[in-house]
Formats: sequence, structure tokens, C-alpha cells
Amino acid sequence: MAHIKTWFGDIELHNDEIARSQVLKADIDAMAQRLQQEDFADFDKECRGRLREIAIKLQVVSSEREYVSLLRAVMIQSAKQRIVAAFAQPDARIIQLIDGIDDIDESINLLSERLSEWCLLTSETSMPEDLLEAFASSPSAQSPLAQEFAGSISRLCELRQQLANAIELEMRTTAPNLSTLAGELLGARLIARAGGLEPLARMPASRIQVIGASKALFRHLKYGTKPPKHGVIFQHPLVRGSHPNNRGKIARTLAAKIAIAARLDFYSKKVYPELLSQVEKRFGELQTAERNPEQHEDKIP
Amino acid sequence: MANCRPQSATPNNMKIRYHKVPGVFLLDKQLATKGEALYGERTFDGYRLWNPRRSKLAALLTKQAQVPLAPEQIVLYLGAASGTTVSHLANIVSLVYAVEFAPRVARDLVRLSERVTNIVPLISDAAHPDYGPVVELVDLLYQDIAQPRQAEIAVKNAELFLKPRGYACIIIKARSIDVTEKPRTVYKREVKKLEELFDIEYVHELEPFYKAHAAVIARLA
Repeated sequence: MAHIKTWFGDIELHNDEIARSQVLKADIDAMAQRLQQEDFADFDKECRGRLREIAIKLQVVSSEREYVSLLRAVMIQSAKQRIVAAFAQPDARIIQLIDGIDDIDESINLLSERLSEWCLLTSETSMPEDLLEAFASSPSAQSPLAQEFAGSISRLCELRQQLANAIELEMRTTAPNLSTLAGELLGARLIARAGGLEPLARMPASRIQVIGASKALFRHLKYGTKPPKHGVIFQHPLVRGSHPNNRGKIARTLAAKIAIAARLDFYSKKVYPELLSQVEKRFGELQTAERNPEQHEDKIP
Repeated sequence: MANCRPQSATPNNMKIRYHKVPGVFLLDKQLATKGEALYGERTFDGYRLWNPRRSKLAALLTKQAQVPLAPEQIVLYLGAASGTTVSHLANIVSLVYAVEFAPRVARDLVRLSERVTNIVPLISDAAHPDYGPVVELVDLLYQDIAQPRQAEIAVKNAELFLKPRGYACIIIKARSIDVTEKPRTVYKREVKKLEELFDIEYVHELEPFYKAHAAVIARLA
């Protein structure tokens, strides 16, 4: 006796004969719905080879041709539902937003370079740091075209701010621990690089540490150069702000805590704010050690 | 794709020949299948050109290897992506179950299967097959997924869905299994894993079309 659950219904086989069955007939929506909702167990190859035959016997379809066309219609429907569901995930939105920010940054840089070239037409000194402010007082600001151009740049800057705000909001709700520890933007970037919160939560800390340093990592693996100490987590103030001798150590600690934070966020949703202070404590220890090197004699050969 | 303008007529001097594999043709030396254009490829007289640089199966066929494809076959295709190869394969065999996980490319695959009547799209992770209630027994398992655990995934899917003595065509991308190892060492190791379940017929490298890729043709033991 075998009980099999197929896409067109539940069937009980008794000595190769259909003993009982409950099938859905040609109702594409109901069939697709059922595939999304119910649990299905694997069944053996012999039954699998008879799927078409069983469906015809139970008058779900009248021919093999019809079997294929009904199955195809159901699976197209179900595939569409799955795609919509995948894109409705908050991490899909976060990835979109962070990629948007990166695109805008690139555009702002490109346009700013152009604007500063433009200003050079009328002034002999090169443009200082804050381009837009300097532009306003430069002679080029008289030209309406140049003004319009500068306006586009400042509008892009505003849009960037809006995107950043949206990311902060999304991150606060989907990944509170990661946001507290790494900051919303860096956290979002890590999620984007990993391909989602789940892949990030499943990643070992050692890999999180070098996300974004793949060139250096593979150069290391292939040619035996020095391994990278940090990838995108270099943007974290605790990594960037520490002495170069300590960056590898603090990056390692931070990556380990980020791994924990991502797992908390994905699997339990519990908030555990101590993670950041733990990294800060380690940062403090390393700072002190750096200032009093004699206390750590083991470092000196 | 701007330069892939479809052309209708076969130029007079073009020779159409049969490839060893039924359903596959050679227009001069270019691979083609019969059907209407689906992704912007060039067509001649109802023949769709099949670029070996865009499809590993085309690369394998261009290298004249004997590939176990036949018109009546049902194929389970793991790693369908946007469906370029699937669309040609559907011209050759009777039915293709196309599995793809990434929603971005799967959108193209679904659009394709709405136009072609013998493609069934499955949005699932081949590593954790949940298409058990859907897929019938298949004659050929085709796998083109760049995954470190791809051999295990092939074995798992073959155990569930492949007919006794059915064929498997498995594309190994050495670089996604181990970047540091020499490709041939990787192939050997993967083939060894496949030998647990399959009789290996041959292993064919896909150079010069693809670097560090090989195709394994095997048969369920």
C-alpha cells in the first residue's frame, strides 16, 4: 500500500490499483495554491513513472498531451506566485535600495567631475572640496545651463539621502541587531553582498570578514599573497578608526559578532544590544596594548 | 542583441546538414535547432542559430561529442537560468522540466515557458528538491549549476527522478568547486563522487568556449 501526494491530488495505491483518491480537476488556481501550502513527501520511482497513467485513469486529464498542458499551466501559475513572493521579501527591497545608492554615488562623482571641469573654464583655481558651495560663488554660476547642471547634482544628493533614510527604516525592522552593531548602511551592504539576510546568517564569520575583498582573497588563495584583513567591514568606524596593526584583529572580532547578529535577526528576532559593546571592549583592549607595547612582550621576538 | 537581427531567407550558398544528434542541424558550421526565435538569436528559414559561447550544451555539441539526446525524451534540467539553452533543448526533446532558483532570471524562464508548450518551469532549489509531486520519471538529467556541492545535488536528483539506466549530462565548473586546484584535478574528484551512482561514459572539456568547464556524460548504474 502506498500513499502518494501528487500535484493533481492524493492517491492511495493498493497492489498497483488505485484504492482511494482525492483529486482536483482542471482547477489551475486551486492546484497552484495547494502546491504552495501543503507538505509533500517523496514517493518511489515506480509510482513516479505512472503519474501520467494515474492522472488519465482518474480522469483529471483525458490524454498525455493534456497532462502536459495542464501541468504546465499550473506550474507557470505557481512559478509566478513564487517569484512575486521572493521579490516581496524585505531583504530584496534592501538590496534594491543599497544598489540604488551605489548607482547614485557613481553618478554624483561623474557629474561633479564634469561640473568642476566646467568651472575651470571661467576660474583659474581648481575647485575645492565642497563643490556645490564653491560653484554658487564662482563666475560659472552665471550660466543658466551650468546652474541647471549643478541643480541636478544637488537633487541627486537629496535623493541619496532619501534612499539612505528608507534603508535605515527597513533595516531597523528587518535586522535590528545587525543595524545596531554594523550601522544600517553597512549592514544593508553586507546583506546585498551575501544575497539576502538568510545567506548572510548562514555564512561563517571568516567569510563575512572578507566580503568585498574577493580579489585580494583569491589572489591569496591562488598565489599565496597576504590574506585580506577586511572587506566592506572596513567602513565600520571601529575598524577604520583603529591602528593599522590592530585592524585585522578588530575586523575578526567584528565579523564574528556580525555573524551572530545576522543569525539573531534571521532566526530569532531577539534583540541583543550587548554585541556592539563587546566589540568596543575589544577595541579598547587593543588600543591600550598598542599604547603600552612593553606589556605584551610576546609580540617582540 | 542589436546586431542579432533576424533574417528570414537562407543564403543560397549555405549548406544545411544534420548533426549526429537528431533535432540538431549545422548551417555551414554553425549549430542550429528548428523553431522560432525566442531570445533574439538569428534565424535562417526556421532554423535558430545556437551560439556555443552562450550555451554549454551547444559548446558540447559543437565539439561533435555524442550527446544522448532523442526526440521522445523527457528532461529534468537543473540550473535553467533565463532559459537560453532550455529553449533550444525544447526543440530537440519532447518535454523539459526546467528548475531555476534565482527569481531574477526565473522571470525570463517563466516568460519563455508561456511561449513554448513543452517547457515546465519550476522555481525551486535543486539542492532541496520540492518538485517531487510534479516531476515524472525522466530520461535525461541535465545539470548546469555552478555549486560546490553539485555532484551531491546531481546524485540526489537522479535518485529521485531518473529512469533506470537513464542518462545524465553534468556540466562541472571547476572554478566554483575549488579555485585553487587545477581544473583536471577537480574533474577527477567530482567524477569519483558521481561514480557512486553512475557509470561514466565520458568526460569532455569545453575549451575553448568555456574555461575550466567540463561535461560529464553518465548513465545510471
